Amino acid sequence: MVSIDDFGTFETAWCPGCGNHSILKALKNALVKLKLKPHESIFVSGIGQAAKAPHYFKTNLFNGLHGRALPAATGIKLANPRATVIVQSGDGCTYGEGGNHFLAAIRRNINLTLLVHDNQIYALTKGQAGPTTSQGHKTKAQPKGNPSENFNPVAVAVAMQANFVSRGFAGMMDQLSDLIVQAVQHPGFSLVDILQPCVTFNKINTFSWYKERCYELKDHDPDNWLKAMELSREWEEKIPLGVIFKGNKPSFEEKLPHPTGKPLYYNKPSKEKIQKVVNSYA
Amino acid sequence: MAAKTKKKKQVEIFALGNEAVVEGALLAGCDFYAGYPITPSTEIAEEMARRLPHLEEGVFIQMEDEIAGLGAVIGASLAGRKAMTATSGPGFSLMQEHIGYASITETPLVLVNVMRAGPSTGMPTSPAQGDVQQARWGTHGDHPIIVLSAGDVQECLEMTVTAFNFAEKYRTPVILLLDEITAHTREKITVPDPDDLYVCSRLLPSMPPEWYMPFEDNMRGVSPMPPLGSGYRYHVTGLTHDDHGYPTSKPKEVESFISRLFRKIDQFFYDIQIVDEIQCEDAETCIIAYGCVGRAAEMAVQMAREQGEKVGLLKLKTLFPFPRPIVEKMLRQCSFVLVPEMNMGQISREVKRVNNGQSKVGTINRIDGQTITPGEILKKILKG
Repeated sequence: MVSIDDFGTFETAWCPGCGNHSILKALKNALVKLKLKPHESIFVSGIGQAAKAPHYFKTNLFNGLHGRALPAATGIKLANPRATVIVQSGDGCTYGEGGNHFLAAIRRNINLTLLVHDNQIYALTKGQAGPTTSQGHKTKAQPKGNPSENFNPVAVAVAMQANFVSRGFAGMMDQLSDLIVQAVQHPGFSLVDILQPCVTFNKINTFSWYKERCYELKDHDPDNWLKAMELSREWEEKIPLGVIFKGNKPSFEEKLPHPTGKPLYYNKPSKEKIQKVVNSYA
Repeated sequence: MAAKTKKKKQVEIFALGNEAVVEGALLAGCDFYAGYPITPSTEIAEEMARRLPHLEEGVFIQMEDEIAGLGAVIGASLAGRKAMTATSGPGFSLMQEHIGYASITETPLVLVNVMRAGPSTGMPTSPAQGDVQQARWGTHGDHPIIVLSAGDVQECLEMTVTAFNFAEKYRTPVILLLDEITAHTREKITVPDPDDLYVCSRLLPSMPPEWYMPFEDNMRGVSPMPPLGSGYRYHVTGLTHDDHGYPTSKPKEVESFISRLFRKIDQFFYDIQIVDEIQCEDAETCIIAYGCVGRAAEMAVQMAREQGEKVGLLKLKTLFPFPRPIVEKMLRQCSFVLVPEMNMGQISREVKRVNNGQSKVGTINRIDGQTITPGEILKKILKG
């Protein structure tokens, strides 16, 4: 049995009231539901307040470079296909610095889950516009308002027919926890974009801003791509939460020449194998 | 590649420098390659793509850029694999941040950089040796690193095996520098007999998972390393970390951690220092060279000896940590030391740094994408 206590409690660097606290709790609940013990999953994160999350519970963690969590996760998953690999980072890390890797990961469709804490601001560096910050949003670095349009990760992922695209909200923990479970269980690349209020550096997209707009998707068929495209564009007036699109493409690992699923670390170097290399010249 | 069997087990192949790197990697047990194509290193990726899936259920993956290439290699290595990537100038620049990450997380990996003329796009199909100091200091912050070089196709194979051995033994990234000439030379090489081949793999923990401390110090300064996800739960982070792998900024813990990173390389200096001493015993003039220039220098030594000049060659295969003791010995012994290289003096500055006025140090610097010839070296030696 796995219980929430197995993951321990840690002192965090987050502000009181930060959306990260509830995301972390929803995540731990999801891991309990998935029956994953602390040593059975591998978390990969980048840099940012969100990327600190896996430091605050017991797990295997690869805390890598800013923007580069997905490439490392790709390497880990291919070296150990049996591992449950979950990438957890913020919007700046994933969609900004790591935008190229985000697109490549969707195309490649490796069986991993991407959790993005999307607070529409750079919070670690104390409040500059990030890739999902809305146009016109004034910050210390964009005093006349953010000149660029905000990036819509869900629309991009749906447009590319990523295998699993969903959106959650830090203020709706039960649904979020359920979305994480579904994302982990779904084969191929899974995205959970998690809306998260930043109480200190984002005074526009506050808890009540989200609360007024977010609604839970009911009776939506996630296999319906055109409908999903339409839903993914909803933002200013209302924001849909739930599974927006589901695909059933084969994962990258299944297309490998030797899809054994055996972790590569069982391949111990030996004289016989070296001889095999030498024999292959003939 | 046509193969011919000589005596028992001794196999000879006709291979490109880049192909020899791949064979060396396979012999060393490499079974993960991630990278991004770039001239003049591309044949390494192509040959890996062909060879890897057939031999050890290995994985080849072409990533979206060089940053992702080295990122995936680091991930695979931490998950228990012998992993490598290869690139050239511009890609090498992109990889610098990940080199620092591999260094602080003590991730074994091999990075082959086939040097082309730069800076920037430079001359993509011309040789140079301009990335020597970048290999040492390219990533930010104080960090130890092992940098090796190879000057002919046989060395490409051997030094790749060595690079993997060092990476695994000392849990460190190892950079192997080739140049376009060496990488694109095709010649006959001998594949070592598997019985004679020394292949080293990382130390695995022998204690039960609950006792395991991922970054604990010991006599060697190198902690055992289980594959991530194999049951030994641990944290890996680019932040300075304590013995358990958790972030720390306590001065005492940081100091002992960073010192250990340096110590583990320093204390095995004599294992890491690899040089070829060619006719050095009675030399009055010494050439210090590496890579393809080392080969021209070997010829120059032969030509000088025919003219009765006592010239020797110190061929550096380990560039960093800089093989200071052996260089100092030659500086003491010889009245003239010549450092020919295809850059503005990246190794000669190291030689001058340790010289302390003991000898006269001369240089030949070519940066026009042309190789340094034996004749050029000989001329400089005779002039003194």
